[in-house]
Amino acid sequence: MSSCGNPAVEAEALMSRRLKFDKSRSCVKCKTNVGNIVIRHAVYCKDCFTPLQTTKFKRSLEPSINPASASTSGPRRTKLKATGNLLIGFSGGLGSTVLLDLVSRCYISSNETVENVDGNSKPRGGTKHPRNQSVWMEARACYVEMCGAFPESGMRDRTDEVRKAVERYNGFEFVSLRIEDAFDSRWWASVGGRDQIRERDLGVDLSDEELLLSSLQHSSDSSPLAALQKYLSSLPTTTATQSSLTALTRLLLLYTALATSSSHLLLGTTLTGLSIGLISGVAMGGGFVVREEAGEEWEPRISGLAGEERRIKVVRPLQDMGMKECAAWVWWNGLEVVGKENVVGVKQGIGGLTKDFIVGLERDYPSTVSTIARTCAKLAPKDAAVERCVMCERPAQRGVQDWKARISIRSFNSPESEMSIPLPPHIQSAIPPPSHPHHSSFSPSLTPLLCYGCHTTLTSRSSRGTALQSKNLSKSLTDVIAPLPVWVSSRLLDSVVNPGGEMRDDLGGDAWQSKKMDVKEMRDAVKDFLLED
Amino acid sequence: MPPRNCALCANARAMLKRPKTGQQICRGCFFYVFETEVHNTITEAKLFKPGDKVAIGASGGKDSTVLAHVMKTLNERYQYGLDLFLLSIDEGITGYRDDSLETVKRNQQQYDIPLKILSYDELYGWTMDAIVSQVGKKNNCTFCGVFRRQALDRGAATLGVDHIVTGHNADDIAETVLMNIMRGDIARLGRCTLICTQGEDTIKRSKPFKYAYEKEIVMYAYFKKLDYFSTECIYSPDAYRGHARVFLKDLEAARPSAIIDIIHSGEAFEVREEVKATQKVQQTCQRCGYMSSNELCKACTLLEGLERGMANSAITDRARKKLDAEGPAPDNLRTIPFYRAPSAAGPNASIAVEAPS
Repeated sequence: MSSCGNPAVEAEALMSRRLKFDKSRSCVKCKTNVGNIVIRHAVYCKDCFTPLQTTKFKRSLEPSINPASASTSGPRRTKLKATGNLLIGFSGGLGSTVLLDLVSRCYISSNETVENVDGNSKPRGGTKHPRNQSVWMEARACYVEMCGAFPESGMRDRTDEVRKAVERYNGFEFVSLRIEDAFDSRWWASVGGRDQIRERDLGVDLSDEELLLSSLQHSSDSSPLAALQKYLSSLPTTTATQSSLTALTRLLLLYTALATSSSHLLLGTTLTGLSIGLISGVAMGGGFVVREEAGEEWEPRISGLAGEERRIKVVRPLQDMGMKECAAWVWWNGLEVVGKENVVGVKQGIGGLTKDFIVGLERDYPSTVSTIARTCAKLAPKDAAVERCVMCERPAQRGVQDWKARISIRSFNSPESEMSIPLPPHIQSAIPPPSHPHHSSFSPSLTPLLCYGCHTTLTSRSSRGTALQSKNLSKSLTDVIAPLPVWVSSRLLDSVVNPGGEMRDDLGGDAWQSKKMDVKEMRDAVKDFLLED
Repeated sequence: MPPRNCALCANARAMLKRPKTGQQICRGCFFYVFETEVHNTITEAKLFKPGDKVAIGASGGKDSTVLAHVMKTLNERYQYGLDLFLLSIDEGITGYRDDSLETVKRNQQQYDIPLKILSYDELYGWTMDAIVSQVGKKNNCTFCGVFRRQALDRGAATLGVDHIVTGHNADDIAETVLMNIMRGDIARLGRCTLICTQGEDTIKRSKPFKYAYEKEIVMYAYFKKLDYFSTECIYSPDAYRGHARVFLKDLEAARPSAIIDIIHSGEAFEVREEVKATQKVQQTCQRCGYMSSNELCKACTLLEGLERGMANSAITDRARKKLDAEGPAPDNLRTIPFYRAPSAAGPNASIAVEAPS
């Protein structure tokens, strides 16, 4: 008979309920206390939980601080000495709250003190003892406010709440950014970029798969916020919006780390978040940079700044702590999480779907998230990178456009590929090349400068996508050209434009030149879409 | 809304929206780009050379039915110079395979291609119905998958072919990439996006539909009026794979390029060299001569478990230990006939096939 007592139910058809823990309710570490938390079938008490998580955190972070700290022999703490300052990416979410707390406990306010005969306290072993030396000279927590990206959702500005959360800890300077800074030439100048972009802003036509570049026409509202919103509304899918915001945030943090002479950028990505990022990265075509998703060493492109000492290590020290462990840490330590606001539509994107899938899977298969992270740690890119993508500034591989053209034919007259495609038998005469009503025949393309993932983000469409395709049919040139983030414009102007105004493809392509179109040319180009007055 | 012209030829009226690109195109262009993309896949990977004998793994389902049609078309259009065969495996699942084998037999007539049907019963002495009656529905997919792989190789060896092509499509490959990451199968992850696999003693095996979307395969069959059987296996599917499949369909709905993007990801990475060094070296099964990572191949281990009444011995460690404790396999144990690769069998190996009438 089945467990529910119904004799009609076939016993084999019912799954036996699996215990949440392995053997007993006692802590597997001290074996004396009754357990308080189950982590992947192992039971831990509250007393053992704290040192366990602290050890995991240090084990993830310390080998990357400096070469001497990577050595396994001897005590590590005395060898820790970073070459620059510290920047923590702080979103106010669960992971970054735990990260800030752990960094503060372990490296900022951790020095043990002893009281001397005068009653004053001083660090044990004296201030000069290697144990009491600061690992980083300065520490900052940087927050990127996202509300500008969602004007219609009524998302509130949480900068003050986040500032208060950071100010609870001593030793951290608060750095506040806004997501629209990615389109702000003043911010770009403040982090070391050249302030020459306003006059020569470049935009890209996202309605066309060739991603042709044009000079951007300045309208009355050309603020960074308007530029951000125009860029986001031009993207073809919800997935593209989400992944672009992630990429913009990452670059804002990296350039801020550069400007603050930081050698390390720490992110509060948990094991769960890392696994979600890895799977969604693979699903968005980012297999070539799967290693960078877990940790990367970024070298700035700003001219005159490259070099060993300006490399920034991006570390995720919570990559061995799951979301559940972080939640327990926050609860048991009475920390306050500012939290993030839910944005409508996020769940329909690849990132949101992956999150739901992984979190759901973790319930039935608790080892899934760590398996994903361990598996991806065993992977490496198959080929050497030929360049860095201008958009995400991560390694890019060769031959992406040929690959795309070969496996999905989008035109019998494809300019992106060198492949010649014979015409199908039902077509008698040659097909004219596609016309680009908004561009001159000399318009350069952004496509060869992008990695697979960024190109897909900007071009891959969905029937569920944003309303770009339907809206843009009747739009004029100024409406369809989306602005580009400042580092992209800067890179394009820096490397492909010579003083004469001609542009060349620095990836070995054909020479191309840009030409500003006048009103008559524009009207000629779009006349077929215009109705008579 | 007025009818739209085909986005590719701009001449004919668009009849369909391509699942892979979202373009609205005419029927003629769809056939042409679908076939040309498969041709591009074949030529880019240099899969065949003139005179090759190629067996098409034919189940009677949509993928293999369309594969047979496209292989025949491309072989003639581009003069590959291939000798094509149809090779079917009868797992012995009542009500599942019977109808689809009829489709394969019809394909044999339509395309004038010789057919060979090899059954589990003939090769292993067990039908899937008999296996399920012993192991239940929980782990039967393990038996079916392992037995089918060997059966195809053995069938191809009896046909004396150089190459087997299977109807695995882009959805299958993307799903396998995700599965292998999620279950940590690093060895399979390293090879699942390869278009062609070949062990030392096994027959070359390729997937010409590697970049073809499942939806487009169905669309091709529909417009070409190809008949096939869409039958779900009556035994329970692999639950974990089921999760991955549902997830992939959600990703595809969010962004149709997700399938091809996952494959691109899988092709862009490889297993790190230091990890490869720790992987098991391939050897030959001591009992049946088929490739194996242990002394006994998986099929022999599974068969021994079935024969000795301990079917789970190849599935769980505990059951394996119990089997080992029972002592060595008896001498009169039914075993799989010794495997000889086509090269070992020689060029004049007999080919017992049903010729088209």
